[in-house]
Amino acid sequence: MRRYGCLQAIAEDVGDALVICTVGGAAAQWNAIRPGDGNLRCRTLGLVSSIAMGLALALQNRMVVALDGDGALLMNACALPTLACQRPGNLIHLVFDNGVYESSGLRPTATLNGADLVEMARGAGIKHACWASSVENFKQEFNKAKERKAYSLIAAKVEAGEDYRELPAFGVAEVENAYRFMRHIEKLEGIRVVPLPGPRH
Amino acid sequence: MAGETGPSMILEAMKEAGINFVTSLPDHNLAKLLEFVDKDPDLKHVPLCREEEGIGICAGAYMGGKTTAIIMQNGGFLNSCNALTTTALNFNIPIVLLIYYAGDIGDEGFSTLGSVTEPVLQGLGIRCYVLRKLEEIRATIKGATTLAIDSRRPVAVLLTKDVLGMRR
Amino acid sequence: MRRFDCLKAIAPLVGDALVITIGGGSATEWTHLRPGEGNLRSRTLGLVQSIALGLALALPKRQLLAIDGDGALLMNLCGLPTLAREKPSNLIYMVFDNGIYEASGLRKTATAEVADLIAVAKGAGIGEAVWVSSPEDFKSRVLESMRQRKFAFIGARVESGPEYVAEFRSLPRFDVSEVESAYRMMRYIEKTEGIRVVPLPGPRH
Repeated sequence: MRRYGCLQAIAEDVGDALVICTVGGAAAQWNAIRPGDGNLRCRTLGLVSSIAMGLALALQNRMVVALDGDGALLMNACALPTLACQRPGNLIHLVFDNGVYESSGLRPTATLNGADLVEMARGAGIKHACWASSVENFKQEFNKAKERKAYSLIAAKVEAGEDYRELPAFGVAEVENAYRFMRHIEKLEGIRVVPLPGPRH
Repeated sequence: MAGETGPSMILEAMKEAGINFVTSLPDHNLAKLLEFVDKDPDLKHVPLCREEEGIGICAGAYMGGKTTAIIMQNGGFLNSCNALTTTALNFNIPIVLLIYYAGDIGDEGFSTLGSVTEPVLQGLGIRCYVLRKLEEIRATIKGATTLAIDSRRPVAVLLTKDVLGMRR
Repeated sequence: MRRFDCLKAIAPLVGDALVITIGGGSATEWTHLRPGEGNLRSRTLGLVQSIALGLALALPKRQLLAIDGDGALLMNLCGLPTLAREKPSNLIYMVFDNGIYEASGLRKTATAEVADLIAVAKGAGIGEAVWVSSPEDFKSRVLESMRQRKFAFIGARVESGPEYVAEFRSLPRFDVSEVESAYRMMRYIEKTEGIRVVPLPGPRH
């Protein structure tokens, strides 16, 4: 199974959901499939799920998707019980497990050594956590999660070392990405996020 | 092209300095060094999931008579700050911190990380040395290990792309 | 089940095992039950398992016990896959799950709501992880692991609340300062293992 294929399969189902992606191939691939200001690329390894959870709790009527990886999730495994306690119904947490630190020299992660991310998630109290068995099953599980309206974690074992160098580079700077993302939310939700710059006079 | 000279010299310097226990998290620029560490039968290597735990593992290994180092990126160093403070500094534990210096001069995409690294090390009172020249590897890593043991504190060596063989 | 009863059940049996404990009630209770220089209290929430792992790897012939809590383990779940990779045969890891941050204002932890620490450990690759049902069960697991020299990961769900806090607070306080406790433990290791840990202070002349 390939991550790129999984992402392509769900692109339409994601619609205008807000997407937080972990840095590296996942962000590059997703951005090529669904470009736009509704994507935020997170470079703090592990923090995708936390940022997505905060956003989902703040915007309870908007679907939020977290695109996470095994190395990242292992770095923030502490987030799993927190997600289980909060379980925002509008958050779908996708985890692509390729068994390597893809952006850090392809060295193996602990999932090649017996760690099972779905079992860990279930142990942490996440009720709807599953492995997808194929691209089609991944899409099915995604749509089930959408209908369920209960926090769901869908993981997929994917090939290591997918080549994403041919894809367009993520074209916006980091701070710019954050502002464009917030302005996008303002428009989408009809709310104010970024305050007017001061001073008043 | 990843050079092998620097990483193999770093490994040799670590061994000569007496380091025999290593914990690590990878970075693209550390891949060669970690591959050498992995293969070396004289070193116990414990790969980590998060850098904080590495400080604890090194602390335990030191108490058991080992000379320890942690290999990580500077972002990972920031992850480990509480453990460095409340375990390594509070217990007087020497650890050689071999930190890949992302956001160094000439680097792209990590300037924020690069700009806070040395000030945070200074804030913690951890002495640090930037390694830029191959010919300084041996003396710096040996010296940092001696200083760590003598001061009973962590000492940082910032590994630049120049010595990791990654400078384009 | 009470933590104090579990610890009391094993204290006479552990011999000269090195013991790393989390701060708070566990450290107070344990050092009361088995005083001495073979105990180290870690105040870095979550690092008990890591320190014990490092020590167990450095001294493969020495029995190591790690006494941890739920709040602490929840802070270092990242350590579990690492522990799973090594599983030193001389390490017994114990977690007392009381569902609260005992030393931090008695607020609930995630285990009180949803998380099952043994299930998480199993997911991380620690198939040995097990919940015990009584102090006797706890004791027999510890004994079995010590006798057979095999890695153990033991969880015990224990009672909690202000009355337990009041109880351990009535015990004598941990009477060694932090750096002092590290040196005492290292000197104790030197003596009992016949190795040098702390180098001679310099300079030579």
